[in-house]
Amino acid sequence: MRYALQKFGQFAIVFFIVTFVVMVLMRLGLNAPGDPARTLLGGTADQALIDATTAKYRLDSNYFTQYFFWLKGMVTGDMGFSVPNSQPVSSLISGRVMTTLLLGFYAIVWGLIISVPFAVRQAYKRDSWFDKIGSGASFAFVSAPAIVLAPIVTLVLIKENTIGLPGPLSDYQITFGGWFPRVGDKVYPWQDLGEHFRNFFVPTLVLTLPIAAVFSRLLRGDMVMTLQADFVTLASAKGVSPRRVLWVHALRNSLFSLLTSVGLQIGGIVGGAIVAEQFFDLDGMGTMLVSAILSKDLFTVQSAAAILVASVVFVNLIVDLMYGVLDPRIRHARALA
Amino acid sequence: MTTTIDPSTTTPEPAAPATALPAPRGKQRKLKWPGFGLVSAVVFLGGLTLMAIFADYLSFIPYPDALIPGPDGRPGRYEWGPSWTAWFGTDGVSNDVFSKTIYGARTSLQVGVFATVFGIVVGGVLGVIAGYFRGWVDRVVMIITDCLLALPALLLAIILVNRLSDLAEDTSWLGWLSRKWTIVFTLGILATAPLARIVRAQTLSLREREFVLAARSLGAKPGRVMFREILPNLIPAILTVAFTGLSILIAAEGALAFLGLGVEVGTPTWGKLIDENRNKIDEFWWATIFPCMMLFLTVLSFNIIGDRLGRRFDIRQAGV
Repeated sequence: MRYALQKFGQFAIVFFIVTFVVMVLMRLGLNAPGDPARTLLGGTADQALIDATTAKYRLDSNYFTQYFFWLKGMVTGDMGFSVPNSQPVSSLISGRVMTTLLLGFYAIVWGLIISVPFAVRQAYKRDSWFDKIGSGASFAFVSAPAIVLAPIVTLVLIKENTIGLPGPLSDYQITFGGWFPRVGDKVYPWQDLGEHFRNFFVPTLVLTLPIAAVFSRLLRGDMVMTLQADFVTLASAKGVSPRRVLWVHALRNSLFSLLTSVGLQIGGIVGGAIVAEQFFDLDGMGTMLVSAILSKDLFTVQSAAAILVASVVFVNLIVDLMYGVLDPRIRHARALA
Repeated sequence: MTTTIDPSTTTPEPAAPATALPAPRGKQRKLKWPGFGLVSAVVFLGGLTLMAIFADYLSFIPYPDALIPGPDGRPGRYEWGPSWTAWFGTDGVSNDVFSKTIYGARTSLQVGVFATVFGIVVGGVLGVIAGYFRGWVDRVVMIITDCLLALPALLLAIILVNRLSDLAEDTSWLGWLSRKWTIVFTLGILATAPLARIVRAQTLSLREREFVLAARSLGAKPGRVMFREILPNLIPAILTVAFTGLSILIAAEGALAFLGLGVEVGTPTWGKLIDENRNKIDEFWWATIFPCMMLFLTVLSFNIIGDRLGRRFDIRQAGV
């Protein structure tokens, strides 16, 4: 418990520093009095409005005061107003946050669902053809970022393809693709599950494949090492079934790199989500953030970045606490510390 | 955050390479020829680099802004598919896609390499200092890297590139900071955190070794110990992470260009090509897929080299 609190404090400090730096970065160069408010309000705002905005958000005070008032606004739900979108930042974000969170959640969950059985089988049947093909495929997908996968997936799954067969089979054609909509619609699972699947499948796939590849490479490597350990031999010698040895004894001891990697990959998933949302015109936090940064929509950037940073930090906190759950040695060491 | 990244210090597991070791089948293989993958990776990267450098002088690479006449003799939109006239076809403004990908490689490789060098210098120095002195220096460096890793990399890159370009426009003494160097600087900052971490972790174990003790007892100052004794031993780790990092940075450059934050208008890049042509992907697939494949093969090649180096030097990259 003490360890958890300590970790929480550490992550909270990181969160505050990062959000503060984002705020300072967004305000760099806006030095003249009234500049931040003028940027917020767009080109044609009159002086009275600029003064009022400046006063309301303390935009003339130093960065720390501004940060404090922004933080207070975040907590109380008043995140400011987004002029380019002509709506409050809070409603702007709440309409989009689920899309990105769902994408990230699906990517991690599916990445684990795909990679764990693959990696376990690969490690168990090491150097078999299954292992070789699996290793090659995961190496290829590690090198295929969202921006490479998106066009390829579009060609294969979204476009309707018709391929004529050569020679005597020329009367027949193979048709495939056209299964998914080109532009992702925000349909949530609680609205229409089938439509949700159709709209989210392709962006999720683009995010999932590289993640699954990273996970399975890590897990396979660790699993191979674990399977050579003495306790695995002992378990087999005691007569524990191979299935139980593999999935309970060995897997549990091989999960550490995988777990660490889940925490580290979150940032990459958010980056991939930005690209995927842009490519498939899925209206989420990524597209919103890009346009907000380009139009210098200060409060939107700050709040959206804060939410993303908070989720990254949160996942890493969970990962850190999971180490103790997985390994009693860590748990006891922490209890003594 | 993610202080648990160094498995050697926190998680109780054997310090072993994450990647597959060649199976010890009784006897060690004696002379090992570099595998097919490694050879193709080096050949591909070498060829691409040479073509990118000498693109202006090679007769089979047209200029990226040269208009290629279509079959009817006039330039038009997407007139050629992949063919002898234009190997990768032509794009929406009748330019040669092959030439544009080669010139795009010029940008991507330059940006990637310069950013990696920046990351090695800054991250390496930070990592060595943190690992050698420990204490509060270490804590400060770790907080910096934690913060860099907490903000999603692409998000930080978008903010930095956008803000720095604005600053460069408004501030007179930053006039030299063109868009390309802004991107180099930004990606360099992104590359700093993982490099600093791995260098720190290695320094922590190296500083306990006898040769460091010997140097110190001979009266060597910390600076000399760090940079003459410890640093040379870090080169394998740095090299391994640099190659893997290079592949990530090149992919990030592609993503930035795709999102409209690429280098100056008029300079072709892979990300820009993908973005420009993706709406026509159904009929004119070549203009999108070839830049994609080029990006993929480049990233793959750097990954293959990084992976091989990691196996050779026994470097764990779980955290990178």
